[in-house]
Amino acid sequence: MSTVLTEPSNGSKGEVEATSVDRPPAWSHRHLLDTDVLTWPQVELVMDTAEVMAEIVAKRRPRSDALRGVGVTNLFYEASTRTRVSFEVAARHLSADVVNVSAGGSSIEKGESLLDTMRTLESLGARVLVIRHAVSGAPYIVAREFRGSVVNAGDGRHAHPTQALLDLYTLRRHVPGGSLRGRKVVILGDVLHSRVARSNLWTLTAAGADVWVCGPATLLSGFEAWAVAGVGGERRFTVTTDIDAALRDADAVMALRLQQERMAAGLLPSLREYAARFGLTRERLALAKDGCLVLHPGPMNEGVEIAADVASGRRSLIKEQVANGVAVRMAVLSLVTSVGERSGS
Amino acid sequence: MSPSVSLRPADRTAGADIGRPVDLDLTGAWLVDSATGREGPGELVVRGGRIESISWSDRPGDEAGAHGVVVAPGFTDLHAHLREPGGEAAETISSGLAAAARGGFTTVCAMPNTTPPVDRAAMVEAARATAAASGSPVRLLQIGAATAGRGGEALAALGELADAGVVGFSDDGSPIQRADLLRHALAYAGMLGLPVIDHPEDLGQTSGAEANDGLVATVLGLTGWPAAAEATAVARDIAILAEVVRDVRGARLHLTHLSTGASIEHVRRAKAAGLPVTCDVTPHHLVLTDEWLAGSRRWAWQALDDAGNARDPWRDGALEAEPYDSSLRVNPPLRGAVDTRACMAGLADGTVDAVATDHAPHTQVDKDVEFGLARPGIAGIETALGLLLEAVDAGQLPLRRAIEALTVGPNRVLGGAAGAAPGFAEGSTADLVVFDRAERWTVEPGGLLTRGWGSPLLGRSLPGQVILTVAGGRLAYEAI
Repeated sequence: MSTVLTEPSNGSKGEVEATSVDRPPAWSHRHLLDTDVLTWPQVELVMDTAEVMAEIVAKRRPRSDALRGVGVTNLFYEASTRTRVSFEVAARHLSADVVNVSAGGSSIEKGESLLDTMRTLESLGARVLVIRHAVSGAPYIVAREFRGSVVNAGDGRHAHPTQALLDLYTLRRHVPGGSLRGRKVVILGDVLHSRVARSNLWTLTAAGADVWVCGPATLLSGFEAWAVAGVGGERRFTVTTDIDAALRDADAVMALRLQQERMAAGLLPSLREYAARFGLTRERLALAKDGCLVLHPGPMNEGVEIAADVASGRRSLIKEQVANGVAVRMAVLSLVTSVGERSGS
Repeated sequence: MSPSVSLRPADRTAGADIGRPVDLDLTGAWLVDSATGREGPGELVVRGGRIESISWSDRPGDEAGAHGVVVAPGFTDLHAHLREPGGEAAETISSGLAAAARGGFTTVCAMPNTTPPVDRAAMVEAARATAAASGSPVRLLQIGAATAGRGGEALAALGELADAGVVGFSDDGSPIQRADLLRHALAYAGMLGLPVIDHPEDLGQTSGAEANDGLVATVLGLTGWPAAAEATAVARDIAILAEVVRDVRGARLHLTHLSTGASIEHVRRAKAAGLPVTCDVTPHHLVLTDEWLAGSRRWAWQALDDAGNARDPWRDGALEAEPYDSSLRVNPPLRGAVDTRACMAGLADGTVDAVATDHAPHTQVDKDVEFGLARPGIAGIETALGLLLEAVDAGQLPLRRAIEALTVGPNRVLGGAAGAAPGFAEGSTADLVVFDRAERWTVEPGGLLTRGWGSPLLGRSLPGQVILTVAGGRLAYEAI
């Protein structure tokens, strides 16, 4: 892993040519496993490429030939609707040949190993493997051997890089001036178990945002030490259990999904208590800046981590996150495939 | 004088094959006699597998020899998993003993968590017969299960196992979770004059745990294995021992693979209070840290700053390898540098009695998978010496202490069951290892004798190539 370069404080952007097939000079990653390896110019390249892709998506019949004839396989070991469909739509817009594999109804159920499954899919022409897996780090062992590109669509609690990139893309379109430098961004909820939170910590701190993570103490375990050490060993963030302090004067707040099994594990007393203390309600949001942006990676438990009127409110970007996800994933697919396949066996 | 190792089979017609009694002339080497505590340059002559003579040279300026060819008593591993019966694809008694000899070990204590587990006398006999049939002169000592079937519900046939020659009792792989059974096992085993060897882990705190609970686990999104889960188990075990020993004077507790400073401190206090407790640490918990999971490849002592605080591998730019290498999955997990330093300090001051490998080979099928699905364990019996010598070379540990922890230390833990203290008494059967501290060797899959797949050290070079291992007067290993 290399250190992420942060956004230059003058906000200058390099000249970037966002074509999809020729390898852009700034891009070097055959895989996208997490946001931690992206330099700031590379993050910006994803943003700029996504803008080009968004123009394609906005057409009546979105279609680019960028990945014509390229096999994109969605290998999902965990249930997912929005991420899988988003990758599928993104790949189709780029004219890729899309195959969907889910853990149910495949040899995975017969106990085939992840690496054997990868080799099989490779032999069947997969050039890009989009992997969702319940075990943290699973895409890394595939990336070690796969000839093509691996895109992490969420691994355990570890990372969800395309989500973090689409969150950043969505935020930048709405914050005045388009830069998050100095903006207070709150990640609220079950941070401990959240791959979305971890990937966002890398990109948001790289963007220069004043990042706060907030939730019940049991769901922040270990994060104070990370906050003190700093993301990448340098970029501090703030950890608090005080939701009012977190939301006060916030520019954006991202609520995280709360899983029912947290109660069974003894991490929380009840959903009711969680909603009362940490639910994102209209009243609480009043502490934030006027026009505070509201995000949620989905799927939502309305009435638990986020009130229904906040989720569908005027400042909610939740629907837009979903729409932007397609453009950002198109950008990621085109960028990773711009780096040639690994040669040799 | 440059060292010279001259080896001949005692049986001249047969060639220097494994298992043959040896004649050996060692001159100019650095001898470490753990039994007497003496070390220095000298000459050692072995005839027909017996130490014929030892002569010490005390010319000034010979200390440099300590950095060259070293002759030490053969090592004893208190903790190895040989996987036979039931797991022969990962290791057999034969392959495990061969790997042990390559690592300099001449005595191996086999853990009983085979399939089925060694909880009956007949299985002890079978293991012994298999070891004899392997032709390896490495001595196999068997540890018996503490509870029937390692089920944790009733005592195993401890008396019958003792009669069959086991050297201790353990449910290793799991703790003895029921405190009442641990109490009874300590008392009953104490009556038999044998130690109970516990794997200290409070399972209530380690459900789903993948890595040391710390910064690395937080960043990598791995489920934490808190240090407290070990320390509370250690404290429980010691509290129970303190009561049992009032009634059963022979009761003995050995705590294996300790990995945290808090555990070491509990043992230090218990020993100061005179309790019959011993403990071991593994080479990997002394020399590797959880940073390796994130891709760091520096040694434990390099991960500390001058004030003794753990450094941040991200800040240092110390991450050079891919993260989530499943060969690093082990139980207890690799800890942070502050804990490894506490383990090293415990080893240096004698709180830690022995270094045991916890050699835990697995097949590629079980190991070359997602990190959190990989079976825990490092097959480290061949790299133990090299890791310890890295610590010695870095000034973390005196050579003599490292050798003690592999020889007289484990011998003391085993008590009378292991025989005389490892040393070079004239007339005794030669049991020794010859290694060259100055000669580095590269850990390569093809070069290891274990069947276990993978090692976190593949591709690394380690000091201390083993040149020769002699077990029970017979050739156990010879570098080509």
